[in-house]
Amino acid sequence: MRALVVDDSRAMRKIIAGALRKLGYETVEAADGAEALKALEAGPLPDLATVDWNMPVMDGLTFVTQVRANRDYRALTLMMVTTEAEHGQIVRALAAGAHEYLIKPFTVESLEEKLSLLGLLPEGVQA
Amino acid sequence: MTELVEEFYDEPTDYVEDEALGQIVDAMWSSYFAHTEFLLPSFEQHDIEGDILCASVTISGARPGIVTVSVERPLATPLAAALLQEDGELEDEDVYDSLGEVANIVGGNIKALVPDAGPLGLPVVSTAKPLHGASDRLAARLDANWQGQWLTFEVWLAGGSENGQG
Repeated sequence: MRALVVDDSRAMRKIIAGALRKLGYETVEAADGAEALKALEAGPLPDLATVDWNMPVMDGLTFVTQVRANRDYRALTLMMVTTEAEHGQIVRALAAGAHEYLIKPFTVESLEEKLSLLGLLPEGVQA
Repeated sequence: MTELVEEFYDEPTDYVEDEALGQIVDAMWSSYFAHTEFLLPSFEQHDIEGDILCASVTISGARPGIVTVSVERPLATPLAAALLQEDGELEDEDVYDSLGEVANIVGGNIKALVPDAGPLGLPVVSTAKPLHGASDRLAARLDANWQGQWLTFEVWLAGGSENGQG
């Protein structure tokens, strides 16, 4: 399985990508929404994108909205991974088309649980 | 009577206090730094002397504010190495980015406690603490020790009185 990790923090990209690789994912990283859209255009389409909210150039909510407006990306599952913890923000992200929401700080176990809920845990991995 | 109650609740309220800040920092530490030495909170203030690095994020909205994490300069690299779980040499960019992400995580969770908060700013890292306006107040502060050196987390909000008193 493939994952696109979108976060402007190199540290957070490394943490999320590292956790996903341990679960068996191949990962690609992008530092903002615009870079992430380019990665999608370049292909291949990943199974999952983890998306930070606050990023320069293009924020995560705009990225989610743009992905959802493109029928070619229907198979892509979007998970917001962000410090934006207010209920209103969660509702906005889900309304825009995100499938799941994970608030930083998160544990590897909570990431696995979210992937399990999405049916995106690679075979042989149990949450 | 109703008017009096409404008037009371129209007053700025202290939603962010030391305890909430402590819980947020504790959650972050157990998520990303549990493999390292414990973070030891202090009941006393320990102002950092000498060179510091300070990461900050701003909160906009009805009650704007700023959340900072300050560390003694020599602590910044081991802190970043711990977050990244790296043993080797780190570039300055990784060190600044890691400290900024710590401020971002704390700031984002603090923002959730502030009424009518607007967007969170992107992290800024500098060698001095940011200046505050005359009407800003220190809403919460946490001093903690890690590996024998001090970190200070602060939340400043516009208006109100210092440290949640009154």
